[in-house]
Amino acid sequence: MDGFIRSRSRPAAAMMSTKAFTLVPAVEREQLMGDRERVSLECVECCGRNLYLGTSDCFVYHFLLEEKTLPTGTATFTATRQLHRHLGFKKAVNELRAASALSRLLVLCDGCISLVHMLSLEPVPSGARIKGAAAFALNENPVSGDPFCVEVCIISVKRRTIQVFLVYEDRVQIVREVSTPEQPLAVAVDGHFLCLALSTQYIILNYSTGASQDLFPYCSEEKRPIVKRIGRQEFLLAGPGGLGMFATVAGISQRAPVHWSENVIGAAVCFPYVIALDDEFITVHSMLDQQQKQTLPFKEGHILQDFEGRVIVATNKGVYILVPRPLEEQVQGLLASHRVEEALVLAKGARRNIPKEKFQVMYRRVLQQAGFIQFAQLQFLEAKELFRSGQLDVRELISLYPFLLPTSSSFTRSHPPLHEYADLNQLTQGDQEKVTRCKRFLMSYLNEVRSTEMANGYKEDVDTALLKLYAEADHDSLLDLLVTENFCLLTDSAAWLEKHKKYFALGLLYHYNKQDAAAVQLWVNIVNGDVQDATRSDLYEYVVDFLTYSLDPDLVWTYADWVLQKSQEVGVQVFTKRPLDDQQGSFNPDDIITCLKKYPRALVKYLEHLVMDRRLQREEYHTHLAMLYLDEVLQQKPGANATGAAVTETRAKLRHLLQKSDSYRVHFLLDRIRGAGLPMESAILHGKLEQHEDALRILVHELADFPAAEDYCLWRSEGRDPPYRQRLFHLLLALYLGPGPSSTELTVAAVDLLNRHAAEFDAAQVLQLLPGSWSVQLLCPFLTGAVRDSIHARRTTQVAVGLAKSENLIYKYDKMKLKGSSVRLSDKKLCQLCQTPFSEPAFVRFPNGGLVHTHCAASRHTNPRSPSPGART
Amino acid sequence: MRKPDGKIVLLGDMNVGKTSLLQRYMERRFPDTVSTVGGAFYLKQWRSYNISIWDTAGREQFHGLGSMYCRGAAAVILTYDVNHAQSLLELEDRFLGLTDTASADCLFAIVGNKVDLSEEGPGDGGQDGGHGPGPAGVGAAPRLPKQVQPEDAVALYKKILKYKMLDEKDVPAAEQMCFETSAKTGHNVDLLFETLFDMVVPVILRQRAQGPPQTVDIAPCGPPARTRSGCCA
Ligand SMILES: Nc1nc2c(ncn2[C@@H]2O[C@H](COP(=O)(O)OP(=O)(O)OP(=O)(O)O)[C@@H](O)[C@H]2O)c(=O)[nH]1
Ligand SMILES: [Mg+2]
Repeated sequence: MDGFIRSRSRPAAAMMSTKAFTLVPAVEREQLMGDRERVSLECVECCGRNLYLGTSDCFVYHFLLEEKTLPTGTATFTATRQLHRHLGFKKAVNELRAASALSRLLVLCDGCISLVHMLSLEPVPSGARIKGAAAFALNENPVSGDPFCVEVCIISVKRRTIQVFLVYEDRVQIVREVSTPEQPLAVAVDGHFLCLALSTQYIILNYSTGASQDLFPYCSEEKRPIVKRIGRQEFLLAGPGGLGMFATVAGISQRAPVHWSENVIGAAVCFPYVIALDDEFITVHSMLDQQQKQTLPFKEGHILQDFEGRVIVATNKGVYILVPRPLEEQVQGLLASHRVEEALVLAKGARRNIPKEKFQVMYRRVLQQAGFIQFAQLQFLEAKELFRSGQLDVRELISLYPFLLPTSSSFTRSHPPLHEYADLNQLTQGDQEKVTRCKRFLMSYLNEVRSTEMANGYKEDVDTALLKLYAEADHDSLLDLLVTENFCLLTDSAAWLEKHKKYFALGLLYHYNKQDAAAVQLWVNIVNGDVQDATRSDLYEYVVDFLTYSLDPDLVWTYADWVLQKSQEVGVQVFTKRPLDDQQGSFNPDDIITCLKKYPRALVKYLEHLVMDRRLQREEYHTHLAMLYLDEVLQQKPGANATGAAVTETRAKLRHLLQKSDSYRVHFLLDRIRGAGLPMESAILHGKLEQHEDALRILVHELADFPAAEDYCLWRSEGRDPPYRQRLFHLLLALYLGPGPSSTELTVAAVDLLNRHAAEFDAAQVLQLLPGSWSVQLLCPFLTGAVRDSIHARRTTQVAVGLAKSENLIYKYDKMKLKGSSVRLSDKKLCQLCQTPFSEPAFVRFPNGGLVHTHCAASRHTNPRSPSPGART
Repeated sequence: MRKPDGKIVLLGDMNVGKTSLLQRYMERRFPDTVSTVGGAFYLKQWRSYNISIWDTAGREQFHGLGSMYCRGAAAVILTYDVNHAQSLLELEDRFLGLTDTASADCLFAIVGNKVDLSEEGPGDGGQDGGHGPGPAGVGAAPRLPKQVQPEDAVALYKKILKYKMLDEKDVPAAEQMCFETSAKTGHNVDLLFETLFDMVVPVILRQRAQGPPQTVDIAPCGPPARTRSGCCA
């Protein structure tokens, strides 16, 4: 993003809508000096609830501050006077600083910093003091790290000298003295860095290294310098032309200056504000954008200081506190003037001051409000980020868009409202282009949010709104939304989809809501052209597919006729493509066949499905299918006799079926085919009836298709024993060589047959059949094969005989062995199974020698738990 | 607030159009400006770097702030008004000295603004360009011959190199660093800033490589040419 931060002066008046502070009196003059007219207030210190005041007549006063919050939200202060003490000089008290860790108050009076007790205001007994100080500053970013001392930096009464001290409870210790190029007039400290106002310029001086860095010149004769530490390593200085200049210890400016009046007396900081005092006004600028935010009339002010975030102003006679307006109010003020960044910074700044839970609630709300401001300016990226971080209830956003929330939604906008808009139309003032952009934003936003926890609890509202947006914008994601898990509310969504003529999507919605009948009816209407929706050009196929996988048989039957009427081939898929386990119950083949009577092409497909795919062996299906093929073949035959791909295709199917299937009624078909001029088919049928001679005669004589004849022999002898096969081949050979006009073709065929299938023939028989005129050369392959076969057969037979003999010998040996020993039964011999004596001569002997009763042996086979006698011995 | 990675400072006499140039570039417009008080800056994201661009005040009163603004700068844009010869002279006399605090390898660009007002200028002519005091506010009508020629700027550039004791071979050529612009028409404004941004990135990287800037730099590399002026003069 090509962003930038603007930081420059704009006319002040336009910017002063914020009220950052109110001025509240804390100590009034009566409380302080009563009627001593000429006495004036010289300096102030505030530490926690302790407020100290120093006067021109050398008094130090101690007050306790009590803050109360009025019902209106504004704070008031009451200061209760505690002790006061005269320091014993005739001089004014110049400065007061509390060191609460030491319970000490540092008092500068008459060039001397003395330590007094914070409560009793008594000087420390040791009398420790720093002499020769013109001014001093505490180091708020101390380097020593010792909690029981404070670092004090003084402008010495010695010319051009700065001294650094460590101050303990009852002693002081000088640690450094540095001289400056010119006489210092004001000092602030941060770590090792002194920020000094010299007589003609400001400088940064590192008192540990002595290195110094010029900041910028100014004129001390014309005005009092201001040097104010505003935070870590950063100072605020009074510059030329009434500027409040920022400078870091590195000597650079990281913020643009603020523009005060020429005669500023004092400055304080209360983040993010810089407060300045002149003789007439207190002005408030923001450090973030340097704009002037507020002006409070304040006459005769001469002290402005901040103490741990509390800003105090004082005149000669009274003390006032600048109370930050309740944060909420300030933030709201900023938001009201659409100053989002400022509002956020301000709100965030409160993190330290209010309890965590309260802060989070407040800050979240500010983020949300800021989000709506950005949204209204169509700054969607920023808005989105704010909504996300503010954990916005998305319905707040949805509710801006008319009609998007479901009517049933229980949502009401939060109160007080997060924004000022009734709805999108008001927000965009009817600018359609803007409306569209807002909608596009909401689409992407909801889409992102719907799967996150931000949608928890109102997924229905989110998804329904999203559906509406998609439908309205004709967005592709509408379908994705509906076919995946979603929470679109039926009634609302249905009405909307209907309104926008998204009938296909409406069908999906019905389906998602388990109303398949309604869904299909709607889609059928679209296909039929009763309603218009061009979402899918292949809607018919979609419906077929849908029905194919539908678990509702009634639905399928209801629309079976419709799909078949549209296309028999495609429509029949609702039966054929159905998952198998689903075809058992409500999709009885007979019912389906009845249904398909009117749709012959569909019927063929379905029967093919039963016969080929499912391999059902019901004779009816096979015969029926064959008949249908045949009908078609016969129908097509007269027109296009030998040509036409369709004829051959159906015929091929027919032949295939006739050949492969064993389930049709052969005679029935043979009758139908007779005289129909389908010799090949007749041959196949004859083959099925084992009428091989008829079959082969057709193939050889009628069709002269010798390869087919050979194939026939192979086909028919498949899975049969060799003699059967031999018989077929001999039959064929006989036909080739048979009586009648012997043609060369037949002769060649016979030779080829013999040479190619030598193994299928009984060579001896063949030789008898062959005409004597044939040369050996001609039949060479056959003869070689035959001779080799016969030798091979002899040898294998001999081997077999040998093996059989030896096997026989082994058995004989076993038999002899078994017969060799006798078994003697006596009273002492017990049955191994039941452990009782044998009472009859009959017994059973196991191969391992164990003897048991015959009945025990029998029961052993039925009772698996009895121990195996083989295992016992 | 994002921390800037590098700094560019606009210097030049009052009324030459520094604020206008910056607004033209950052906000793409040419609004009425008021004479800048103190200074202001913009933050510009260039690639992955945040570059702060400081607009300074040309008024004598704020002259003393310049050194601080320039401290550590990666580039300085010295701006003059092509129709106002004195504004070029001021650059050398008053403003060059302020750049002593800038980074040692600081780049210098010299920009002659308001070319739309002069005869040879590419501007759209006619309209009122400047207002307020100073000879730059030439008013509506006739176009004037340009008072400052590009060669003058090139000459100043070379003088700067001498002043900084830089070798011409080590720095971008004068022709590359002298621009003639018009904040009013936008002529060359993008070119000026973006050329500079591209050149500043390596400077930033070099500064980074050298670690955090030395906090205290008591011996600036240039000769001490402070011109003390302002209210106390
Ligand atoms: N015709 C014309 N006028 C310009 C151009 N640039 C600035 N001006 C006018 O010159 C006047 C001064 O412009 P500024 O941008 O305020 O000058 P500046 O350099 O910022 O002045 P200071 O802030 O006082 O230092 C304004 O009236 C501008 O409208 C320009 O390119 N062409
Ligand atoms: Mg300006």
